[in-house]
Amino acid sequence: MKKVSSGIKTADKVFHVATGIAASSPVLFLLAIAAVVVVQSIPSIRLMGWHFITGIEWNVGNTYGALMHKNGVTAAAGASFGALPFIIGTLASSVIALMIAIPVALFTALILAYRLHGWVQWIVSILVELLAGIPSVVIGLWGMVVLAPFVAHGLGPVLTHVGVLIPYFRGPVGTGMGLLTSGIVLAVMVVPIITATTRDLLQQVPVLYREGGIGLGMTTWEVVRYIAVPYIREGFIGAIALGWGRAMGETMAVLMVSGNAINFLPHNLYSPISSMAAVIASQLDSAMSDGSGMAVHALSELALVLLGLTLLTNLLARLLVSRTHHRRQGVRA
Amino acid sequence: MSQPISVHNLKAWYGTQLTLKSVDMELPASQVTAIIGPSGCGKSTFIRCLNRLHETLPGARVEGDVHLGTQDLYKVDPVDVRRMIGMVFQKPNPFPTLSIFDNIALGLRLGGVHNRGQLREAVERSLQMAALWGEVKDRLSEPATSLSGGQQQRLCIARAIAVQPEVLLMDEPASALDPVSTLRVEELVEQLKDTYTIVIVTHNMQQAARVADETAFFLNGEVVEFADTTTIFTNPTDKRTEDYITGRFG
Repeated sequence: MKKVSSGIKTADKVFHVATGIAASSPVLFLLAIAAVVVVQSIPSIRLMGWHFITGIEWNVGNTYGALMHKNGVTAAAGASFGALPFIIGTLASSVIALMIAIPVALFTALILAYRLHGWVQWIVSILVELLAGIPSVVIGLWGMVVLAPFVAHGLGPVLTHVGVLIPYFRGPVGTGMGLLTSGIVLAVMVVPIITATTRDLLQQVPVLYREGGIGLGMTTWEVVRYIAVPYIREGFIGAIALGWGRAMGETMAVLMVSGNAINFLPHNLYSPISSMAAVIASQLDSAMSDGSGMAVHALSELALVLLGLTLLTNLLARLLVSRTHHRRQGVRA
Repeated sequence: MSQPISVHNLKAWYGTQLTLKSVDMELPASQVTAIIGPSGCGKSTFIRCLNRLHETLPGARVEGDVHLGTQDLYKVDPVDVRRMIGMVFQKPNPFPTLSIFDNIALGLRLGGVHNRGQLREAVERSLQMAALWGEVKDRLSEPATSLSGGQQQRLCIARAIAVQPEVLLMDEPASALDPVSTLRVEELVEQLKDTYTIVIVTHNMQQAARVADETAFFLNGEVVEFADTTTIFTNPTDKRTEDYITGRFG
């Protein structure tokens, strides 16, 4: 019997180790990032306790003055970190984005999956996916230059008439930099994500079921409403959750159009806001100058809350999408 | 009230491929007409032209005319055509997200019946006609997918007849079923033909012989021979029909 050379054995070992490292790296990265964020947050958690998520005042304190000792940690005098405006800013802007994006994405996906065929479908699909690839800073720029003035002078004044029914629609409209503009900018970014996933799901609805409906004399809309959409329901909710996670984590575009509100809760649809992601990006530089380090810890805690929320929506999304797949397998007759 | 169907110069394409080459047929009312022929001969395409389902496929096209009684089916809204002409498909396709009850009730609701009592009555009547009531009456709220294949196919028949069409098209309705379920579906066809004009596509010549009053033999998109079933199977006039039914090809 011929012996395998030791060179080949070594190569095999290297291969095993290399693939092991590569395969475990996503888990390691996630754990490492989570660990850093948690550890960095601890001083801020001790300083603020629950007030971090219920407080409104975000103040780094006097970073050139005396230090303050509280709950066993050190911070600049007068420091207070209440993140409620940013949490609300993130949630409100992303929910507005979803309210705009969901119907647009659903109808676009329906048209892509069932109405367009051949090269037209191909081109429109590509366009939708290109939209997903536009850098967020470009969309943010469009938001500042085009959308914000339009909200301030066009859309906003019209929407204030709805204020008779829903108080949040009442003016003043302000500069156009704020909640509504952020929501619309986020919607532009979220639509392609939801559309692409929903289109794929709709294409997987067996034609047999749709023909069952058509053969029964259902209109196109009835087939969509009673057969296709119920069939993909969980997957569609999953697609929405993916989009939501994206909207909550988006930084640059929101930072550019949000109006950068601090210590201030939005009181209507046009109020300036700030999101958690945008605050981390915009405040980190000045936070570095806090000698006590507490400002950085507070931003870390903000990152922790954001990470928790996005992980939660992502997990929910995966769960729902996989449940649709299971049911599809169960259905096969 | 069932009515005859008359087909004149019907042609159908998939893209550029001509699958039906000028079909002329008179399908009598309250009778079962079987369409037989080898795979790809255009028999499914033919019945899918009768309820205008063929044209819903991308690139598909139809020419010629189909009359139900005196009505030109290609001059009315296809949705209305399909309410008059029910269809049962090759594979059972109950709506997977709906219960047994709702599978049948949906067509009625969309047709404007909302009264609960009326719905219940119609659902029960259709299930009884489809010989399924006894097996499902205690589990109407369960998902339709919990039924066996044969039961699902009878549910699809019940769904089609619940909206009281005038014609029932069946595209190889038993090809995915076991022999016992097949027999039940065939018995059902026998019972339903008093009420409906039935057109059944089948691969299975024994099945055609058992259930059909008239039989048409299709080959390469053309009707080779159309006569009463006994004649087709005992005394065919065309050599190709004879070759096919004696199993020389197909």
